[in-house]
Amino acid sequence: MIASTKEIEKIVFKLIDNANALVLYFDINGTVSLCNKVIENITGRSREEIFGKNWSYILATQKDSLAGLQMLKAVVDDSISYKRPNNFEGIIIDREKQERIISWSITPIVKDSEALEGVLCIGNDITALKEREASLKKIDDTLNNIFSSIKEYALYVTNLDGNITYYGMGSEIMFGWQKNEIVFKHVGVLHNPEDVQSQLPKIFQQVRQCGQYETEIKLVKKDGGQLPVILSATKFLDEQENLKGYIFIAKDITERKELENQIFQSEKLAAIGKLAAGMAHEINNPLFVISGRVELLLAEKRLANKTRQELSIISTQAERIRKLVDQLLKFSRKKTPSLEVVNINDTIESVMPLLSYHKLPDYNIEIVKEFEKNLPLIKGDLNQLQEVFVNLFINAYQSMSEGGRLTIKTGNYLKRFVQVTISDTGGGIAAEDLKNIFLPFFSTKKNGTGLGLSICYNIIKAHNGSLDVESQSGKGTAFIIRLPFV
Amino acid sequence: MSYKVLVVDDEEPVRRLLEDLLKKEKCTVKFATSGEEALDIIGKEDFEVVLLDIKLPGISGLDTLKKIKERKPYLIVIMITGFGYNEELIAKSKELGCSGYIGKDMPISQIISNFKLFAKTARDKAKK
Repeated sequence: MIASTKEIEKIVFKLIDNANALVLYFDINGTVSLCNKVIENITGRSREEIFGKNWSYILATQKDSLAGLQMLKAVVDDSISYKRPNNFEGIIIDREKQERIISWSITPIVKDSEALEGVLCIGNDITALKEREASLKKIDDTLNNIFSSIKEYALYVTNLDGNITYYGMGSEIMFGWQKNEIVFKHVGVLHNPEDVQSQLPKIFQQVRQCGQYETEIKLVKKDGGQLPVILSATKFLDEQENLKGYIFIAKDITERKELENQIFQSEKLAAIGKLAAGMAHEINNPLFVISGRVELLLAEKRLANKTRQELSIISTQAERIRKLVDQLLKFSRKKTPSLEVVNINDTIESVMPLLSYHKLPDYNIEIVKEFEKNLPLIKGDLNQLQEVFVNLFINAYQSMSEGGRLTIKTGNYLKRFVQVTISDTGGGIAAEDLKNIFLPFFSTKKNGTGLGLSICYNIIKAHNGSLDVESQSGKGTAFIIRLPFV
Repeated sequence: MSYKVLVVDDEEPVRRLLEDLLKKEKCTVKFATSGEEALDIIGKEDFEVVLLDIKLPGISGLDTLKKIKERKPYLIVIMITGFGYNEELIAKSKELGCSGYIGKDMPISQIISNFKLFAKTARDKAKK
């Protein structure tokens, strides 16, 4: 049965009414002759109210609506004047005062001839869609922020050909390439040339087969610098689960690599140390016998000159070995502090050769040692005490760039303390600096760290001793160390 | 300054050298080649100082030190070792009551002067 025109009209109206869109028809003067339920719902006006009114009037539900409508009106006018369809996305405000984003298609309806009959506007409410888009963008921005603050991560995406389609989240910082420089370039620009032929196709293949792939690899920065990373790649799928490309996350492991290297180095040193310690012991016993025997022979009064000379040579050479072994043992020594009975005179003597390691300038400095021969012993950490003396001697040296005299005097104080006085004839310390001299980070030197004296102070204090300073500008400085007897 | 010294070392040339060096300092010297022997000898005879090697066959130097100190707390024991300056060994020896620690890697003159220093300090302390 063929439906009558009337029946078809009825069906069309029903369809229009139930369409999930705003439908509005008006003549070239803007007078509305057709609208649907959605328009009624949004404007809060009934059909009877709407028909015969100007379209822009009926969409203006609130005062705020007018601004948005002005733009729509301009587009509609364009369609009327040039008889062409237009698309427009604009905001209208509904009767609830809620903003709605409407995507309009504006179609001029032309009669049989050229003359324009009216305009059909169909609007899709895309508010929810836009909100979703906005929240997605927000997530994207947030992720971007997170990634750029983490710094050691970069996220980028390529298409199936390996061309970069998305480059964000830490990538710019990590690789040095800006987004606009690298997007649409092949991802191979981030890889070493030798990897582009072998590694990269393997990554793509693994992802296609297993869904993901992870490898430790060196990438290349824009400036050519090598970048050790853990590179994870996964499939990039569209909504229908079709493979569209590859997602990459690169984690910068430069720091870890450096740490690993340090650990490797220190383990290596520890192993060498162990070996050295074991070897040193085996050398020390026979060497002790050789040196001892030579010393005893040299003590003999009735020796031929030639014999004495040759014994001296043996003695000197044995001493060379002894020093070498000694250095090996020092190298392998543990660093944990420990207290032992120490003769301060010996401690001071033992650091004198160390001074040459500190590249002291060749000032004309005379060293005077005034050691008390029967100096009582103290309890202390030899290494730490050596550090104190090295520091104080270097300070004294540096204060005497014009040359001078360094006097090291040992003795006892109140029969309870070993007292060491280290005095120089340098420029001295200004009175106002004197009270700060042991403060950490306080330095009067150009390139001083200000730590040397504070470390000395702490070490002496930990030994239940005292470190004092006396100085006069222009006359030199004296440091006085007092350490309790054993 | 002379002492009656028991030298404990498993290496004959080392024992002989220590004997000669100490005799030069007017010390009386006897030997033990192991910790067990040393413990046996000090049970029969009195000494003022034991010069004890750390690395010994059988019971170790440190264990020997411990046992000597248990039996004769006032006997002065000075450790001597080819390990040189070793914080761990020094700490353990001190803990067990030794009066000094000498490295065979020291110059000969220093070994003797340190021996005398340690022995004198310990003896002076005991007198007080």
